[in-house]
Formats: sequence, structure tokens, C-alpha cells
Amino acid sequence: MGWRYAYRLSGTAFTELSLQAIYAFRQGNILPGGSPAELVPKARRRVIQSKAMVAGLLALLTLGASLALKDAAFLAPRLLSYPLAAPIFDAGVLTALLSLDVAFLWWTGLQILPSLLSSGVLPVLEPLPLDDTTLQRVAALVYFRLFDLPVLTILIVTPIAVGDALGFAAGLAILPGVFAAATFALALSLVTGRFFVRRVQGARGGGGSTVLRWTYLVIWVVPAFGMFGFVTLAPAFFSALAQLTNTAPSTGFNLLLLAFPFPLASLPSVAAGGTSALPLGPGGVVVLIAATVGYVLLAVGSAAWVGGAVRRVGLAPIGVATPAPALRFGLTVIGPIRSVLVKDLRIASRTPGYAFLILLPILDSLALGLLTYAPGSSTRGAESLALGAVTSSALLATFFGPAFFAIEVLAYSYGRTLPLSDRTLVLGKVALVLGIYLVSAGVVLGLVSLRISDPALFIGFVLAELPAVVAASLLELGLVLRRARRKGLPLVNLYAGTWTAILISIPGLIVASVPLVVFSSIQATSTSLALGLMAVAALVELAACTPVLFGRGTT
Amino acid sequence: MPEPAAPRPPPLRVDRLSITYGERPAVRELSLEVRPGEIYGLLGSNGAGKSSTIRSVVGLVRPAGGRVLVFGFDPVTDGLRAKERIGYVPETSLLYESLTPREFLEFVASVRRLPAALSSERGHALVTAFRLEEEYDQPIASLSNGTRQKVLIVAALLHQPPLLVLDEPLNHLDPRSVRLMKDVLARYVANGERGVLFSTHTMEVAEQLCSRVGILDHGVLRGEGSMTTLREGATRGDATLEEIFLGLTQEEEGVRAAVASLERT
Repeated sequence: MGWRYAYRLSGTAFTELSLQAIYAFRQGNILPGGSPAELVPKARRRVIQSKAMVAGLLALLTLGASLALKDAAFLAPRLLSYPLAAPIFDAGVLTALLSLDVAFLWWTGLQILPSLLSSGVLPVLEPLPLDDTTLQRVAALVYFRLFDLPVLTILIVTPIAVGDALGFAAGLAILPGVFAAATFALALSLVTGRFFVRRVQGARGGGGSTVLRWTYLVIWVVPAFGMFGFVTLAPAFFSALAQLTNTAPSTGFNLLLLAFPFPLASLPSVAAGGTSALPLGPGGVVVLIAATVGYVLLAVGSAAWVGGAVRRVGLAPIGVATPAPALRFGLTVIGPIRSVLVKDLRIASRTPGYAFLILLPILDSLALGLLTYAPGSSTRGAESLALGAVTSSALLATFFGPAFFAIEVLAYSYGRTLPLSDRTLVLGKVALVLGIYLVSAGVVLGLVSLRISDPALFIGFVLAELPAVVAASLLELGLVLRRARRKGLPLVNLYAGTWTAILISIPGLIVASVPLVVFSSIQATSTSLALGLMAVAALVELAACTPVLFGRGTT
Repeated sequence: MPEPAAPRPPPLRVDRLSITYGERPAVRELSLEVRPGEIYGLLGSNGAGKSSTIRSVVGLVRPAGGRVLVFGFDPVTDGLRAKERIGYVPETSLLYESLTPREFLEFVASVRRLPAALSSERGHALVTAFRLEEEYDQPIASLSNGTRQKVLIVAALLHQPPLLVLDEPLNHLDPRSVRLMKDVLARYVANGERGVLFSTHTMEVAEQLCSRVGILDHGVLRGEGSMTTLREGATRGDATLEEIFLGLTQEEEGVRAAVASLERT
């Protein structure tokens, strides 16, 4: 039984996975209205739409990078306040692009792996009379089908875009980079998924264990954040790149040549302009070749590992702590809104996809806060960065708001049989978004309190934006809930329900942005006036958005 | 002379209930009542409409026609008050798998606004009775089906609801827990105020436990009453519930034909 047969079987398994990802029947969701015969085609369409969205986003990023490559000589002096040769600038842009490719694919993997593991599509195949090789191939193909459109997009569009900007040879030279980026992202998704099954999902309850789980999750999220953080830290990266190339060839530059994805991102510059395009000494050429060969071999090894590991991860039992009788039986009873918040935090502590959404804005604030200590950063610069960090966390927390509603999918039908009103449910989620915003702001304040001259301005800014964050969350979650109730289907993860998640996030992001725009447009005139008007704008939005939730029934 | 107090509505009244999925009818004009102090067994083959009926009682399915009243409250229009009065055990173990039983019970107790001391005391008693001590702090995802079922039963009993709605509650349970559950249910309704709606296709359980049974077939109630009433309508006075069921659903002949056909192959 060859690959063709395995591919056909993987099609059936993937259809089941799509159905479960969209309708969550295994999690107890009931049949939605409409014709049952339409369910499968609809699920297929929605998953394809979501994959197309991710692929489209990756294509847009690639085209953006291609434009930057085409006009490097024009853009580099205008974007950067220091000289940077065009080939180095190109290598920097492609480093950013490959990092983002890995980040998006990995993030997509984080979102969909729980669906793959909980759908049970792989265990269903095991009792069938199929040999090990076929089962392994089917599992690998089901996994690849989750990423196929986005992966094919970067594999095809990136060489064309780079070739168009820097020439045919450069287009070919980026191929090892995109291959490695795609392979590493698929492997990392699986590694983190396996880690989740082994260490996180089966961990015991209780305070100490909860702290340990969150510690695991922070360690686990940091690499994914590192990729996202590239956007945040891009100016610092280009500055460091300029410094290193000024002193190159040097040990520092050689170390950079070893760090993924820089060597692979440098290849198009070398292909277009020869080894003299980069400040490589004789040792540098060797380092570049060694790093390239090493990463390509690692990518090939990763691809082979993924081929066999999907089945093992899909069938792996949850790593469970040794059973021990409970020492106390008291139940801690809290208010319903708080109970929704605590439940979501507990679920997130064993579900990396949700933990990632909670930790990302906080880690982003941490990174920006630490950046204020970068050499040469002025007090004024630190203030701008601190306000930027709050802005970023407000927008990120708002953007991810609807995704927290997806937690309800986990026991959707059971949850609906509890006397839990829509208001309580939404307010619990809003509390979570607000908590993320406040913790992020607290992290920044803790880091920059000694670096900024006027902490009152910072605190005022955080408080003035707060009603807008609440308003945006109320709007988004109220809309999500209405849609879920109307359509009779739970809002699923960001991957399977991308359209819904993005469309609903847009009004939320607008609401969260308006006070920020008000502040930045008036700040130059008077900071206190800007803060006052920002607060007024946020309060008006809160008053306008509250009826979305409180203007309707209680159930 | 003072006005006589209005009679208390029964734990459950289902009035001409119809449920459809797309074009397909699942339940047709079903009427039944669970009276105080009664365990009402809903019997039926696979796909007869038992779970659909139960889902409409707990507010998961909106009826296409007719209505459901839980102590006089409609789960569609007055969902919160109806749900406050229900303890529900679904057919499949649908729980927050990332939570531990303790965390799950804390969530349920909080949503139901139970006093902490009372829920701790009841929780402890139920957890001990169902022998969940070792699994109390393990994530539900790692528990066996039977243990998950016990967690659901404990969650349903935690607030001592006046109406218990149990969809195949004995599925996956070990013999000890089945016996425990039967005894708990018998005592649960003994005060004459609470009611239990119980779906099963295990005739023996229904015969032992239920005050009355309703037999559903293709969404239609074919027969209803106590064992005595149903036997009176049967061809033989000593008929078992299984025989009555097969007679009412006209499956007796079908079963014989199927067995004969299997023997021929």
C-alpha cells in the first residue's frame, strides 16, 4: 500500500478532523439547524477558507518583503538613521520574513494541534488492518494537510518574489531558507504538542502544580514569542546588524551567521552579489557554508522525524501524575463571573494554545520594557516605549478576546445546561482580557518606573485606555456570543474560524484604537488635555458598547 | 375563607413536544409528566428520540413545536430558573477535560451559587461514596469513562436539584457504582417532592427502578405507565418489560427474522 492509498485514507481522516474542528461534536456540541447533509461540505469549506486566510497573510508578508528588497537602496537610508549596505539590509529583511513564516506556521500549529489530538481521527485508524508504514503515512499526511496551503504558499511565492526583486539566482538561493522555515515550524508544532501531552495536560491540580504548569508554558511560549517579538524588536535588530557589519569580519558577525535564519536569509544576497556582498572574511565563508549545510540537514532530519512522530503523538497517552488520594475535600466557591475567569485560567494552564494568547501580550510588554534599558535609550525614548508597550498590549489583548470564547467549545453543551447567563459568561471573559491588559501594564510599569520621569503620565495613560479595552471586549464577545447562539455552533479556534475571529476583531480593534489615536494627535499640544480627551473617548465608547451585552436577555 | 393555594407545578411537564433536525423529525408531539416522588424511565431503541427529548428538557435543543416546563419554567424562555432546578447527567462524558474533578465541581458550585460549607460537605460525601478520592486532583482528560461518569453524577447531585435528568446514567459504571446509583435514586425521590427523568435501554434497570416508564419509538410515545399498567395491556400477564417493549415497538417479529437471517449466512 503506497503513498497514493495513504493519501486517499488521509482525505477521509482529514474530513473528520475538519468536521470536529468546526462543529466539535466530540466535545458534545449538538447538531446545528439546517440540513445535516450540508455539515461535511460546510466544514470542508470553512477549513479551506481558514487555510487560505493564513496562506494569504503569508503571501502578503512575502510581497511586502519583496517590495522592500526591490527598493533597498532607496528605503534603507530613509528607514534607518545609520548606514547599512543594501545586501545586508536585504539579508535583514529576509531574516525577518523567514522568522515570521516560522512564527505564523508554528502559531497555526499551536491552534490546531489540540483539535487534531482531541478529534481522535488517528486512534480510529489503528484497529483497521493497515500496516505500520501506511498508518504512519496517513498520520503524517493528515498533519501536513493542516498546513498544506500556507506551506505551499511560502515554498512557491517566496522564491518567485525574491527572484523578481534580486534576480533568478537569488530566488533559487532562498529555497533552503523557506524549506527550513516550513519544516522547523511543523516540527516545532509537533514537539510542543508532544510536550503538552506529556507534561502539561495530565498535571495534577493544586497551587504548586499550577505554578509549575505556568512555568512550563512560559518556557514553551518563549520561542514562539521570540519569532513574534522580531516585529517588536526589528529596529534593535537592524541597529545591531549595522554595528556588527561595521566591525565585520568579526567573531560577533560569525556568530550571527550561525543563528537561524540569518545564514539562509543571507544566501540571496550572496547569490546576487557574490561573497563580497557581505563582510565575510575567509572564516566567514566557511561559517556561512557550514551553517547552511547544517540547517538544511537539520531541516531534512526534522521532516523525516515529523513523518514518524505524528502517529506517536496522536496515540500517546496523557502523561499522568502518580495517583494519590486527595488530602482535602473542601470546595472553594466564588462568584459566577470570577468562576468563569478562574476556569478559563485553569484550562489555559493545561492548553498551550490559550496560554499562548494570554502570555503573548505580557511577554511583549516584558520585551518592550527591557528594551528601554538598551544602551543609548533616553528617558524620553523610554517613555515612548512604555506607552507603546501599553498600546501594544491593549490591542493584542483585544484582538485575542474572541479566541477566549472558544474555551467554551470544550464542554459546550454541558456548559449550556448550567444556570450561567450570557452576561456572566461574557463578563468573565472580559475580566480575563482586562486582567491581561493590567498585568502587561504592570510589567511595563515595574520595569520602567526608574527610567521614566513621570510615572503619573504612564498610570494615567493605562487608566484612560482601560474603559476602551473593556468596551472593545464587550463588543467583540457580545458579537461572538450572538453569532454562536444564532448559528448554533461554538466559535472554534482561530484556525478553523479565522473569518469569524478576524471580522469580529476589527470593530474591537477600532474601539481600542480610537482613544490611542486621540492621545497621540493631541499629545504635542498638551499631555494632560490629551489624557483627559482620551479618557472621555474611552468612556463614551464604553457607554456605547455596553448595550451590546446588557441590552439583551439574560440567558 | 382563604383561597386554596395553587397546586405546585410538577417537576416536569412535556406538552406536545416536537423536535426536528433539518427536515428530519426526531420527536413527534410527545407529552409526558414526571410527578413528584417519581422516577420516570424513558425507554426506546437507538434513535428513538430519548436523548433529543432530554436535551430539550435541559435547554440544549429548541423545540420545533410544543413546550417543556420544569416546575413551571420553560427552559427556552426562562432558562436560568429552569436550569437552577435541574441536575443533568449527559449521555456522553462531556466535561472540561483540562480541569480536575475538584476544579470542575468548584466551577459548578460557583455557577450555582452554592454555599461553600454546604458544597464542601456534600462534595466530600459524594466523592467518598463514589470512590473518587484518588482521581480528585487528576485532570479529567486522564480519567476512564466510568470515572468521568461518576464526576458528572456528583456534579448533578451537588445542589440536590428537585429534578434530576439522567441520560443513560449507568453507562460505563462498575457494578458497585450501578448499585450505589440505584439506591441513591430510590432514596432521592423518597421525600415525595423531587422527580427523576431517566433514559435507558436496559430493561432490567428500568423495571427495578422506575415508578413509570414511557416507551418511545421513532419519536412517538407508544406506551406509558407503571409496570402493572403495561402488563395489563400486554398479551401475557407475566410479560417482562423487554417483551412489552418489543411488542409495543413491533420489533418482536423483526428480531426473530434478523436472527434467522444471521443463522442462514
